[in-house]
Amino acid sequence: MSLVLHDWELSADAYRARLALGMLDLPYTKVPVDVVPGRETDTPAFRALSPTGAMPVLVEGDLVLSEIGAILIHLAERHDPAGTWLPREPARRARCLDRLLFALGSLRACDAARDAALFETPSRIADPLAEARAALRVLESLLARRALAGEAFLAGEEPTIADLAAFPAAALAVDWGEDLALLPKTRLWTRRVRALPGFTTMPGVPEFL
Amino acid sequence: MTRDLEPAVRDAWHVLCRSADLAPGAATRLRLLSRDVEVARNAAGTVSARLLDGEAVATREAYGHVFACLGTPAAPLFDIAEFAEDDRRLATCGAVRVRASGLRLVENFLDMAHFPFVHTDLLGVEERPEVPRYDIEIRRDVDEVWATNCRFWQPRAAASSAEGQMSEYLYRVAGPFAVMLYKTCPADPSRFDVIGLLIRPAEPDLSYAYAFVLVLDEASSETAIVHFQQTIFLQDRIVLENQRPRLLPLAPNAETPTRADMSSVAYRRWLKEKGVRYGTVEGLAGHGEAEGVP
Repeated sequence: MSLVLHDWELSADAYRARLALGMLDLPYTKVPVDVVPGRETDTPAFRALSPTGAMPVLVEGDLVLSEIGAILIHLAERHDPAGTWLPREPARRARCLDRLLFALGSLRACDAARDAALFETPSRIADPLAEARAALRVLESLLARRALAGEAFLAGEEPTIADLAAFPAAALAVDWGEDLALLPKTRLWTRRVRALPGFTTMPGVPEFL
Repeated sequence: MTRDLEPAVRDAWHVLCRSADLAPGAATRLRLLSRDVEVARNAAGTVSARLLDGEAVATREAYGHVFACLGTPAAPLFDIAEFAEDDRRLATCGAVRVRASGLRLVENFLDMAHFPFVHTDLLGVEERPEVPRYDIEIRRDVDEVWATNCRFWQPRAAASSAEGQMSEYLYRVAGPFAVMLYKTCPADPSRFDVIGLLIRPAEPDLSYAYAFVLVLDEASSETAIVHFQQTIFLQDRIVLENQRPRLLPLAPNAETPTRADMSSVAYRRWLKEKGVRYGTVEGLAGHGEAEGVP
């Protein structure tokens, strides 16, 4: 079944999907969506694919997914026979989902801070900058605890979709003026993610972090 | 009140917004040259603007954008002749906010030496970093800075590129905050694509960049063309936001140019001759709101 990604180069969520597709070595077709300045995500045609206007949208046969969490979980469950990106063993799986929901929950403030810095996109978050900085400190602390346990990634020894969900929030922080200088574990972890086979970059991800 | 602005900036045309962002009956407030400006379009489609403290300001609508002049226009809005060629397609990329002087944005746009390192595998490759010698002149009759006979090897010069090409470039600084380039069109090497960067200087160290592309490209979708330019500009933006000082120094010994920076040297000299201070280190005392100067 062919995979189609309704994509915007500059979207952090679209980057999360592209990272997963790349790491899983899946061929896919990109359909560019004119989010800025065209606001194509508000058009009836796009809303037919994505009722809330969320993007990216992944289409695989009859399946149309517009929530990034569902896209990452689906790609791992459907296309990762080894089951490393979303572990099957219940405790490891639960930990992966715990970190995934953090990455797509509190840590999402980083996306809001970035959208405000680039395009002055309004946010439901009252103070995106403060919340983004606070969430990055939580990420640092999570990674520090994993490091003490001898583990390199957010949910254990191996990378999971939780790492892919969290990576853009940290790696694109320079877009809103945060340089990660005081977050050494986060910087080390971004280097590990960058070194994974199938990694793809995007504009805004610093060459040297 | 615009008396404190130097004539070279006050009497020049500056972009305010995209035409498409101002629907009939709509009005919006924008920051231009440290002033609040309200720009509106009436039901008949005519655009007008005024300073929030009252005075009307001159406006023009052209090239897919709305322009304003806060003083008395020193000249008509610069002419971009290629807009009269009806086989071209215009794509406007919208506004991107950048914490840097607008003059820094123009200077970065003029620079070819960064292509292999900032736009790796698009506008340059690290194996071919050389900037061949080019010509630079200040054209007194039109009061513009031109760089001509520029050449650079580009693996993916435009959204429509199928393969690498030796791109030929002409750069044209049409105003202190308006710059264009003309570059070999991948689809028709006998003609040039036009790429423009129009900057709305909101504060001396805060800018909004409006890029447009006027191309001969029947194959790419408008969205693909916009995404290509946005990708390039976001790569530049990281560099621009990290330059210090955020303001452009015009003193000749402030930063050390190389031969590849001839266009930057000419641009700075031209700005200095015209008496431009807004967005410069030298203008800091006059405008007061800037930060980030060591």
